[in-house]
Amino acid sequence: MKKDLLMMFFGLLLTVVLFGGTKIQSVEDYYQTHVDDIQEDSETITLSIRCDTVLENYERLDDQLQDPKYVPEDGTILPETKYVLRPKDSVFDLLVRATRHEQIQMEYQGAGENLYGSAYILGIHHIYEFSCGPLSGWMYRVNGEYPSRGCSQYLPVNGDHIEFIYTCDLGRDIGGYFLEQKENKELHFTQ
Amino acid sequence: MIRFEKFHPAILFIYYLLVIVFSMFTVHPIVLAGTLLGGVLLFALLHPMRETLRNLLFYFFVFILIGITNPLFSHNGETILFFLNDNPITMEAIIYGAVISIMLVGIIFWCKCYTKILTSDKFLYLFGKMIPKLSLILSMTLRLIPLFKQQIKKISGTQKVLGLYSSESRTDALLGRIRVFDSLLSWSLENAIDTADAMKARGYGLKGRSNFHLFRFHKEDGILLAAILILTALIASGNADGVFLFGYYPYITGMLLTKKAILGYLCMLFFMLLPSLLEIKEKILWNCLRSKI
Repeated sequence: MKKDLLMMFFGLLLTVVLFGGTKIQSVEDYYQTHVDDIQEDSETITLSIRCDTVLENYERLDDQLQDPKYVPEDGTILPETKYVLRPKDSVFDLLVRATRHEQIQMEYQGAGENLYGSAYILGIHHIYEFSCGPLSGWMYRVNGEYPSRGCSQYLPVNGDHIEFIYTCDLGRDIGGYFLEQKENKELHFTQ
Repeated sequence: MIRFEKFHPAILFIYYLLVIVFSMFTVHPIVLAGTLLGGVLLFALLHPMRETLRNLLFYFFVFILIGITNPLFSHNGETILFFLNDNPITMEAIIYGAVISIMLVGIIFWCKCYTKILTSDKFLYLFGKMIPKLSLILSMTLRLIPLFKQQIKKISGTQKVLGLYSSESRTDALLGRIRVFDSLLSWSLENAIDTADAMKARGYGLKGRSNFHLFRFHKEDGILLAAILILTALIASGNADGVFLFGYYPYITGMLLTKKAILGYLCMLFFMLLPSLLEIKEKILWNCLRSKI
């Protein structure tokens, strides 16, 4: 009876793994993404990743992360860099391409795994949600405004400035508190 | 003969509570290794060797199962081994999965020994006066699974003699099992009603009811209680110094190796191995005395 249960769980694990697909890549293969070269007529956006609020709340940070290796001294994980905008790219696609190219660790929860239908960024550069207190996490803003949508649902246009910023207080310390956002914006969303 | 179960039930209960609290609130590898060692050793001393080996084999596979599923869901960690479906499989996630499954298997082994050490009458003695209804339900729930296992063996054996599993077809075998299960369910309900009626008839839970029990507090109980309290105090002081802290993400923190830390680890190991050491001492004494006859 116990053996049957065990076999059943192993079988379940096997089916989940096979259904999920088994694309195994070594570390070098994964990082060999091609970031398009910027040409004259290509559409570009700038992307930056910052974590200054962590430096202000250093005591609340996890003990293991209190190291300049994980939290850079100036709070810049990725300085403002220009990337080519391919058609139908969401903010999330750009982040994935940028972090792969610069070899920055990034973990996300896929769009199908949460209620909002969008990819959710769990952590960048080993700084995860809740690493700096229970109200901390990653937010992003485009041209200085917070879209209040998931990052895989927002489609930027040529010339946008995208920033990923870490907050330690649900967005209140970076001006992104959800109760303070303007109501109507003509925004570029997918469905 | 089990020496450990002859102690006073209150001490046994406190000890079990502390073991579970210590194992579940840390992820320190030495603590969890101690839990596993203590649990498996106690199980081996209480049950025949064949059963121990069978259980060890089964729980080895459970350990592998849980150890594999953690890296599939957790991708934090410095050392990336390879990428599976665009998610990194890291060494830290694998090690954390292994440690968590050690905790699980260790606690399962402790719980397997629980029914032999803290039988339902001891539990009722401890909590019967304070919370009669709840303690009745709890003790009935805790003895449920071993009782069902025994009863299903009896029913199945009788039915086999009467010719239930005689046909070759799989469907008939399945239907036979369903019949046995159905009979087990109705027996269990009747049994529960019978037990409740019997206890009510004897005035269980009434005010002023005294009951006979063999649990006196002896000198050895006092010594064991003192030992448990001293060890707990040392472990708590070690915990206050952060000796039992251990992190896995994004890198594995090393273990503290100061004198205080080593004292803390030894106390924890000794705490977990306490019942096993008592049992081994009794076995050695018994064999020694027997050889003199």
